[in-house]
Amino acid sequence: MRSETVTSKRLLRASEIFYLFLVGLSFYLLIISRAGEAHTVWEVLNPIFMPVLFVAASILTVILLVSDEEVRVKLIFVIIYSILAHSFFSIIFLGGDLSGQQTMLGRSRLVDENAVLYGVFDPGETTSTIYDWFRGENFQAALTVALARMLSIDLMWVHLFLVPVLWGVFTSIAAYLTTLAVTKNERASILASVLISAFPYATYFGAISVPNSIGFIFFFYSLYFILRYLSSNERKIVILTLIFCFFSFLTHYLAGVMSFSFLILAIAFKSFTTQNEKSAISKSSIVVSFILSVVLLPLSLIYLRYFRPSIQTAFTFEKISQLPLQEAAGLLLLGELTYVSNPLTVFLVIAGPIIGVVGIVYLLRYVRRNPLTESRVIVLFLSAAFLTVITDYRILKLFMEEIPFSAERLWIFRDLVVVPFVAMATFLAFTSLKSFVRKSFASPLNDVGLRNLPKVSFRRVSGLLLTMNVLFSVALGGWLTLSLTAAYPQVAPLQTTSYELDAVEFIDKTTSEKYVAIGDIWTIFAAERIVGNRNPRAYYFGEYKKIGFDFFANMTQDPSTTWMDQAMDYTNTTVAYFIVTQPRLGVEVFNNVVHKTIENGLPIYGPQQGFGDGKLYVFYHRR
Amino acid sequence: MRDSLHKLESLVVRDRAFLFTLASYVAVLAIYVNLIMLKSLVLGSIATILFFLINSIFLGNGIFKKEDALFRFVFGVLLFVMLLGSLNWVALITYNLDISKSTLALLAAATISSALNRTVNR
Repeated sequence: MRSETVTSKRLLRASEIFYLFLVGLSFYLLIISRAGEAHTVWEVLNPIFMPVLFVAASILTVILLVSDEEVRVKLIFVIIYSILAHSFFSIIFLGGDLSGQQTMLGRSRLVDENAVLYGVFDPGETTSTIYDWFRGENFQAALTVALARMLSIDLMWVHLFLVPVLWGVFTSIAAYLTTLAVTKNERASILASVLISAFPYATYFGAISVPNSIGFIFFFYSLYFILRYLSSNERKIVILTLIFCFFSFLTHYLAGVMSFSFLILAIAFKSFTTQNEKSAISKSSIVVSFILSVVLLPLSLIYLRYFRPSIQTAFTFEKISQLPLQEAAGLLLLGELTYVSNPLTVFLVIAGPIIGVVGIVYLLRYVRRNPLTESRVIVLFLSAAFLTVITDYRILKLFMEEIPFSAERLWIFRDLVVVPFVAMATFLAFTSLKSFVRKSFASPLNDVGLRNLPKVSFRRVSGLLLTMNVLFSVALGGWLTLSLTAAYPQVAPLQTTSYELDAVEFIDKTTSEKYVAIGDIWTIFAAERIVGNRNPRAYYFGEYKKIGFDFFANMTQDPSTTWMDQAMDYTNTTVAYFIVTQPRLGVEVFNNVVHKTIENGLPIYGPQQGFGDGKLYVFYHRR
Repeated sequence: MRDSLHKLESLVVRDRAFLFTLASYVAVLAIYVNLIMLKSLVLGSIATILFFLINSIFLGNGIFKKEDALFRFVFGVLLFVMLLGSLNWVALITYNLDISKSTLALLAAATISSALNRTVNR
């Protein structure tokens, strides 16, 4: 018996070391996949990365499900995996993903350079200073700049890894704690901490450093403290719940509104459970609070126009009435996924929620049969919260127009709410298989032990044990790995290239005066990595600034100093640069523009053969 | 692992003669000097880890005394990130976030954490 324990401990240590080795190797493979010119992570990812990750994920799930390792050690393993799974963009692409991640980096640069006062905001976009203060960009920029200064490291590194690390650490732990509050089962809870990485949309948001991602993290903790509030009367828990709801709001209003709508729901559930006599009024208060929590988000979006006049969100029946019945039904059932042609992607996105619904039904039946169960109110509340999110998504998708973000962001709230149920259902499937094997072979195993069984029975039992412990973990590992293929886009524009960054950096290092650069939107994204945009010292027009696009369009059609002079007048600068990039414009247009610009007498700035072996040219004009 | 975390935590939260509060202030000073003069990643990382460790333990102890040691520490880190972010956010929205204001925010965060720890210990 003792020797068996020693052997199993050795086996556990060996698998842990092997797991850590594989994760280390995966990080290394990600680093060597770093590319100066790529569209998607898949295009440049080392071919052995995914198989290595798959084996690592499978071993991790074996450790989580089968071993008796301490919870804290298991959590550390999960956190390492989670950070790895969310770092693809930050490690592979030179400037992170070409999306809000880079835009936000540009905003933070301005804060770091003290180029903005009273916070970052788009001039003329809002009517309220207070509204501007509470925009998530300010909180994120302040935090990123503070951390970068503390570490004395370039802001970009802190920015790129801020969310992957915070997400990897804190959502894994929040998933564990939330599931523990629901199920009181440690193994199911630890499984939840890794299964949160099997939700593609949540993984995507955990990989990009934008305010909404930080909002999701705080939302998850507000959800956890709401669950604690439901089962305790401590004043401190109420205060912490409110603090996390406030911080969700501070980082992103969507996360904040969802936190507060869940809080409304929780207050109703709490007051209902504390009442001794369940009157019709108290029952109807649950229904009223549910309706209130559902409408809070749509109504808040309508009223957002009073703070940001550019947002014109409104209710509409036009969408649903103009859609063919089949499409409307598809949108109602699957949402945006109805337009996704790859069935595997659809499957990977809905697999988690479907398993979650199975878990919800199971737990609802369980608490109905056992009304005195401690977590009854928590299960009921989370089921109602899940219903709130899926209803809100349908309202935003089908009955509202011009919402200021994609309605699919609500999928992340759905995923965070449903993950305890997914973990519970998965764990139940695992334990059911286990008990099935135990029941089937109970007597022979008890009588003689596995090793002394006849050869045929030994094979059958071993085969089933293998199915249970290994294949189940392999299946989970496969799910975790495959979900990454749906999380990270398969199609994307060319990401910021090394030569775009080289050009922007060269200009910034070699220009002592205030300057303006005229370029396409891709150049602006590259600039956000180095100097930010709308920086008075190094002016690149904002991503949505029409005048910036107009200058660029005019320069490509008629490359002359006229437009550059106008740009200098507009930005109060004395030097103007014009940047053209071949892969962005296409070979023919690019060659034509370069030829005309040289013909018009504008000098080339920097290497005369251009940056990136002639793929990018910079021209300049000084007053 | 459990023991070492527990020992370290007990040592820090006792904060005899404000030793760890002072260490936290020294870390802030090191961060400031590094920021304006040395610009060393190694020094910055050491000072930041020390600063985070002490203050997260303070906050974890101050607010989550009844929790398990690991989660107490995790909540402490999360709350400290929030505190740090919010203090710098206040500096940013009231005017700007220059180096001196960043440093003041660090000092304020260290003071608040230490005070919370003291309140609970008392």
